[in-house]
Amino acid sequence: MSLAAEAFVSQIAAAEPWPENAALYQPLKDDQILLSDHASSLAVQAYLRMCNLPVQVACRANAEYMSPSGKVPFIHIGNQVVSELGPIVQFIKAKGHSLSDGLGEVQKAEMKAYMELVNNMLLTAELYIQWCDENTAKEITRPRFSSPYTWPLNHVLAYQKQWEVRRKMKAIGWAGKTLDQVYEDVSQCCQALSQRLGTQPYFFNKQPTELDALVFGHLFTILTTQLTSDELGEKVKNYSNLLSFCRRIEQNYFEDHDKDSITSSTSRLSKGSSLM
Amino acid sequence: MRKKMSAPLELYCWKGEWGLPSVDSDCLTVLAYAKFAGAPLKVHKIANPWRSPTGSLPALKTSEDGSLSQPHKIIIHLRKQKYNADYDLSAKEGADTLAFISLLEEKLLPALIYAFWVDSKNYVEVTRRWYAENIPFPLNFYLPTRMHSHALDRLRLVRGDSGLEPGDEAEKELYRDAYECMTLLSQRLGTQKFFFGDFPSSLDAYVFGQLAPLLKVKLPNCKLQQHLKSLDNLCHYCSHILDLYFQNEASDGPARKAPTPREDGSDFDNEPHKRRNQFLSVLVALGAMVGYAFLTGIVSIQRSDPHNALHGRRAPQLAGDEVDDEDGE
Repeated sequence: MSLAAEAFVSQIAAAEPWPENAALYQPLKDDQILLSDHASSLAVQAYLRMCNLPVQVACRANAEYMSPSGKVPFIHIGNQVVSELGPIVQFIKAKGHSLSDGLGEVQKAEMKAYMELVNNMLLTAELYIQWCDENTAKEITRPRFSSPYTWPLNHVLAYQKQWEVRRKMKAIGWAGKTLDQVYEDVSQCCQALSQRLGTQPYFFNKQPTELDALVFGHLFTILTTQLTSDELGEKVKNYSNLLSFCRRIEQNYFEDHDKDSITSSTSRLSKGSSLM
Repeated sequence: MRKKMSAPLELYCWKGEWGLPSVDSDCLTVLAYAKFAGAPLKVHKIANPWRSPTGSLPALKTSEDGSLSQPHKIIIHLRKQKYNADYDLSAKEGADTLAFISLLEEKLLPALIYAFWVDSKNYVEVTRRWYAENIPFPLNFYLPTRMHSHALDRLRLVRGDSGLEPGDEAEKELYRDAYECMTLLSQRLGTQKFFFGDFPSSLDAYVFGQLAPLLKVKLPNCKLQQHLKSLDNLCHYCSHILDLYFQNEASDGPARKAPTPREDGSDFDNEPHKRRNQFLSVLVALGAMVGYAFLTGIVSIQRSDPHNALHGRRAPQLAGDEVDDEDGE
């Protein structure tokens, strides 16, 4: 969004309270959604629950195309549409709800830095594993991505997306990495997160912030998704404080709300159907 | 304990300008890290990336492991050789390092690429000119444009294909992220000498690598530079590192700056002998045209016989005919 439009939007946003029919759009949950998209969507859902803002999750096959920036998830509030965690956090802040107001300047700097770490390393690693590893791409990603479409559109769209992601990997220098190096990067990222978390319940002690939501979204998705190999999940499981962190957020924010939540989807996953 | 190296490590990097040891961010990062960790490197400052062992700069030539290209890999290799500037960091500080490096790459680097390569005034007057003047012939016709399209591609892909003309909207968003990033860095640095106390670490190398060109290179169109200059502690930080670790390079600065004031204010590429070249080219064109005219007979000069010209009334008529000949066919 341009700066002028953003200022306008935040003024309008501040004026209206949170509506009852707020909706979050993501690709189809069972068949279509991919690891990286599910992680981003879960992060936004976690953040909204932490702020105590109700939202309905709507699954659409063309969610990616409906989104203003091309990325999922996006939320539809009143007559505004905002996509991706960063802008959504800003939007919600304009409405007067914020989780990071109590942090000092240095802590805010650290929070932003760690959020970028997750985006830079975890999200990119997820994209790499999905689209650049030929095994995973062939068996899981391409079939899932193109499942709502008929032949030949499914092939065209899947290959187009794959080509686009591979170009991006090349531009940022990840094309030369092997799968093992990517797993190594994931491990390093998890180690950094684990060290930062330490023994605290949340990253900034007692209260969760958007960083907690983002980390939860990614780690939980990685842990509960079946890929062609379990190595990604194993890398995360090495760090017990991260596991208990995920469990804590799941228990606090997802289980005592309505049952139509990720817990039901995780039980579906553990029955052997692959999310990817 | 330092491991004995059989041959010194050789580093190939872009040469320096404007008081910097190198003009390229990645090269600066690697050079700074090597100085911080005390790694003995033989540095080759070149302006031709095709002469480097990997085809791109910076490149580290090692005796056993071949050649390495990206700054990240080079630093890991140096660390393996026990040249580790992060030795004294705690686990949490190590985690913070990774996080802040990611912040730099996601928020500041795109804006820097934009400022140096996409913004048309900066690109034409500073970036392309420097590369065209310093890369040897004939690569200087080809490489700067290739680097330009590479930079554009990278920005476009990272920002998700939104139109990346040097227009205002993309620029404002990029710069806004960069301002925020620089402010965050400034807040994290506070009044300390380096990010983690009194001794520099790899994070300092990365931050220095990104900020130093922004601080030192004279860009005509740069709000980023102004914002950086408003953050005093970051400016002192960069100058401090330059003074402490790169003193001999800093003396190159003033000598090089002399040409630039003279050529300020012109809008197109500056060549040192523009007038002379223009005059010469006009002369050559004229000479070519006249020569062609004579060779093909469009114009011909016929010698009038001086003996005939002196005789009586018929002479003028002849002279008249001859004059016609000269003018005509």
